[in-house]
Amino acid sequence: MGVAAVLLLSVRSFAPAETGAALSDGVRDGITLAISVVIESLPFVFLGIVLSIAVQLFLPADFLVRRLPRNPWVRRAVVSMFGVLLPVCECGNVPLARGLMLRGLSVGESMTFLLAAPILNPVTIVVTYQAFGWEDGILAWRIVGGFLVANLIGWIFSRHPDPMRLLTPGFQATCAHAADEQAAHAGGGTGGRGSASAKARQAVRMFADETSAMLPALMVGSAIAGAIQIAISRDVLVAVGQDAVWSVVALMLLAFVISICSNVDAFFALAFGSTFLPGAIIAFLVFGPMIDIKMLALMRTTFTARTLVQVTAVVALASAAIGLGVNALA
Amino acid sequence: MREFLRRWQGVILAAIGVVATLWLAATNRLGFYIHPRYFLFTVVMAVIAVVFVVGAFAVVPLLRRRATDAAGPEADGDEMDHDHDHDHDHGADAAEAGPAASARRRLGTAAGVAIVAGTAVALLVLPPATLTTATAENRELNAAAVGPDSAAPDLVGGDTSSFTVKDWALLLRQNPDPADFVDPVEVTGFVLPSPDDPDVFYVARFTVTCCAVDAQPVGVPVHLPGWQDRFSADDWVAAEGRLGDDPAGGPSPVLIPESLEPTEQPEQPYVF
Repeated sequence: MGVAAVLLLSVRSFAPAETGAALSDGVRDGITLAISVVIESLPFVFLGIVLSIAVQLFLPADFLVRRLPRNPWVRRAVVSMFGVLLPVCECGNVPLARGLMLRGLSVGESMTFLLAAPILNPVTIVVTYQAFGWEDGILAWRIVGGFLVANLIGWIFSRHPDPMRLLTPGFQATCAHAADEQAAHAGGGTGGRGSASAKARQAVRMFADETSAMLPALMVGSAIAGAIQIAISRDVLVAVGQDAVWSVVALMLLAFVISICSNVDAFFALAFGSTFLPGAIIAFLVFGPMIDIKMLALMRTTFTARTLVQVTAVVALASAAIGLGVNALA
Repeated sequence: MREFLRRWQGVILAAIGVVATLWLAATNRLGFYIHPRYFLFTVVMAVIAVVFVVGAFAVVPLLRRRATDAAGPEADGDEMDHDHDHDHDHGADAAEAGPAASARRRLGTAAGVAIVAGTAVALLVLPPATLTTATAENRELNAAAVGPDSAAPDLVGGDTSSFTVKDWALLLRQNPDPADFVDPVEVTGFVLPSPDDPDVFYVARFTVTCCAVDAQPVGVPVHLPGWQDRFSADDWVAAEGRLGDDPAGGPSPVLIPESLEPTEQPEQPYVF
């Protein structure tokens, strides 16, 4: 342990400052952008993992399932508001959603949570208000749109005959294991089980498992996001900004590519306020928090590629419909 | 290797990320990548992660030893339970034997190693860097609105001595009359060539609202024919001078420099 720490620290401290001088500015900027996504997201991912561990260790197994309303529509509506209590950035939501699924949330419900929470949380709403106020209904459409799209997805996937097949085999195994464990410990409840030191060991074990699932995805997603940003010229995107249809498509593509955090994407969108129509901004603010390169990489740890293609298609179509509708009415 | 990777990949990546974060914080360079308002949160989460990483180094090998000692995957006990999703995986691997499966496994291991190596190089070996003109040229300069506090500052009679590049850029967007400014303008930034006028370059900075991903370039135009002989793009300069009408006839005033000196990149290269 000590050796490893000293090794990492000394590599960092003694790496020659000229390393990378041979790289072109474009490539260096791509790396800088990717690193900034990592440095920005990492604390949120850690927070999500810690919350997920807390949910699994300290929340009694049927606590959630018992307390949520029974009607599936109301239930999903309530689940989409979880972000108000857990204002974690979208990258932190994936580990948390995994934890919630292991605690009895259905696949459809956890998707609703995953998609709604980045938009329906106080930080995002306040920041969007700071950036846009009530101008053009951007804030209202963002909230309503985020809620509708997330519940639509939850409803669609709740109709799947075998929801477990939406999950990756690896996560299915983890779920099955959690179910066995719950059955085995039924009656005892999680609360009373195990000493403090056993819980600490378990927490560390979960941390190792969750970081093994999440961090490689985060690194790959960030690298791709950084690389694409220097590969696609922004002139192309801005040139189409004034077209009612193409402006929506362009900003959604941009949202997909830049993988920016939902807590602050409103400020970023503000920079496009002058060149782009409001419908395009709304599509950007609804689509971006739900689906982008980094999120897809993170969600791939849990859902099959096929599921993610379907989710992306539906979310994209629904966000585009909202954006185009606003542009048509404006 | 494969087993080692599965057990340790997350902990190693977390350790790399935490060491990089804390080192950037300790050397005052976290600001190259993220907005200062996230510094505290980032450092606190990194410290919490350190506790888990240290715990993992202490506990995971122990679990492993116990699991080997135990009779089998069905062994009872709190910690072993958590090991046995891995054992499930072993079963699955054994079932899908054959050359294709083993090639896929090797590929997976190689990808895992590549991710760890790539992360280590990017976060630990390469020197921390700020964005360059390559990105500035690909983003809209002095975009309509930059960040939450983008109201143009009060100028006439106001104290302009503390104005940043961003303040001046926001102000110049309103095409003010240069005669309103009696005090000299002092700005520091990097050289960003103007795409339109070869006699003009911008003293530019990036303004950041969250992290470097959302960096928007802002800049004050400087009119100086032949500036290319003294500076090249990305050089940091300190400019002092007065605002004047654009000799090329543009609507917005430009800075007519009285002194223009090369300088070091400031400790905080972005403006907020």
